[in-house]
Amino acid sequence: MKNKQVLRGVLAGLTGLALCAVSASAFAAQLRIIQTNFAGDSMHIIDPATNKVVGQITGIEAAHGIAAAPDGSRIYFSEEADNTLSVIDGKTLKVTKKIPLSGNPNLVDITPDGKTLYVAIALTYNDLSEFPRIKAAPSGGVDVIDTASLTKVKTIAMKGGVHDLNVTPDGKYVIVGNARGGRANVLTVVDTKTNDVAWTMPMDPSPSPMAVSKNPDGSTKAIYAQNGRDNGFQVVDFATRKVTNTVKLPDITGNQQNQFGPPAASHGIMVTPDQKTLLVNSRFNSALYAYSLPDLKPLGAVSLGGRGAGWLTITPDGKTAYVANEHTNNVSAVDIKSLKETALIPVGFAPARNTIWMAP
Amino acid sequence: MHRASFPILAAASLFALASSLTSHVNAAPAPASAAAPGLDYNFFKTRVQPVFLTKRPGHTRCVVCHTQNNAPFHLVQLTAGSTAWNEEQSRQNFQLIQKVAIPGSMDSPIVHHPLAQDAGGDPHHGGGQQFESQNDPAWQTLKAFVMGAK
Repeated sequence: MKNKQVLRGVLAGLTGLALCAVSASAFAAQLRIIQTNFAGDSMHIIDPATNKVVGQITGIEAAHGIAAAPDGSRIYFSEEADNTLSVIDGKTLKVTKKIPLSGNPNLVDITPDGKTLYVAIALTYNDLSEFPRIKAAPSGGVDVIDTASLTKVKTIAMKGGVHDLNVTPDGKYVIVGNARGGRANVLTVVDTKTNDVAWTMPMDPSPSPMAVSKNPDGSTKAIYAQNGRDNGFQVVDFATRKVTNTVKLPDITGNQQNQFGPPAASHGIMVTPDQKTLLVNSRFNSALYAYSLPDLKPLGAVSLGGRGAGWLTITPDGKTAYVANEHTNNVSAVDIKSLKETALIPVGFAPARNTIWMAP
Repeated sequence: MHRASFPILAAASLFALASSLTSHVNAAPAPASAAAPGLDYNFFKTRVQPVFLTKRPGHTRCVVCHTQNNAPFHLVQLTAGSTAWNEEQSRQNFQLIQKVAIPGSMDSPIVHHPLAQDAGGDPHHGGGQQFESQNDPAWQTLKAFVMGAK
């Protein structure tokens, strides 16, 4: 009897271990990286376990921003070809709805509860009233999308076109960089309770792109803002609303520089989930740099196999970064601890925004 | 691909570009044929414009980005529900393309910017390498236009 009990206990333990293993395996199997291709007609799905492309979402033109529902049930992306926010069903990977937007859409972000999406609206250059001079139409701001009804519930008008926005980790604010067309040289903060502008602060140039760190209580600590021009970033203390630091990325020799393409020398920035590391792309250097947080000590860099580092995303375990190399149509997988490139993954034309997605 | 191989060609190109830019600054729309000697409007309308509207596998169409952004090469937005430009819009596009199409010059951005670097094009085009080879019939159309085809 005693032996049977021991055997049952061992079996129960083994079963538990097996279930844990299956569960962990399933979890790992469900995690995916969605890579948009701005100049392409599809999005690539990368399995971070193998760093291979395991699927494509097709029938897309000029996807710009992307966000995944926290439960993985949907993928949302903005499409410049028809100025819509498209909704993809997480199971079928088919577009199920297109939500008309107020103008030319750029980045997209979602609140942590998955209830609200924010879409950056850039200026559209289609005013021919002074032809042959092409002027920007009077538009630009942030569109607010309710994910329950899948409708645009508000447009928050702003000065200058908006390219970048980040929902803060606590979901209370949206940080907006008014940097696309007719630079407004301002950082705007939107209160997500009212969807009105809470405060602004001048920044010249406007932030583009940005990363946001949080305090231990989840509230917003700092904004790390690239600016579309310099090879570096600035730090904005959220509480005092002041620039507290400016960091320039290292210079490299001329023959190593990537001088082609958009003028943004440093583009793509993100904080690791443990809040201990800031990763910063340099498009100019075709490299990824790591800094400790909050003290911003340089931790090292990895020279990427592709050129034109433009965007990045980080796996939830904080171990791997995926950097989109816009000029060479591939994605670098980088081990964050060792700062080594572990894979160079071919994708579509001009890979840009990317995100993690937990497939349902 | 031979680009700006001869000083005379380069000088002619610069002159043509300057003339083109001057015509924009003066903003006095002249008849298209007079404003751009060497570039044929009918060839542009019937052969070149379709290149900008054509969906090539794997690519975004030219018309998607170049009607919205403020890149040097701009196209007029299509009328809602329309799949082609009307006569007035085509004439406007013809005027606009002269910013990037230098008559007789293979240095014209419209020729080398969307062409893959391995095929002699620019290292980077925000809209991707639309043409992988100089043998691409669509690229050949752009080249023929710049070289004065009628």
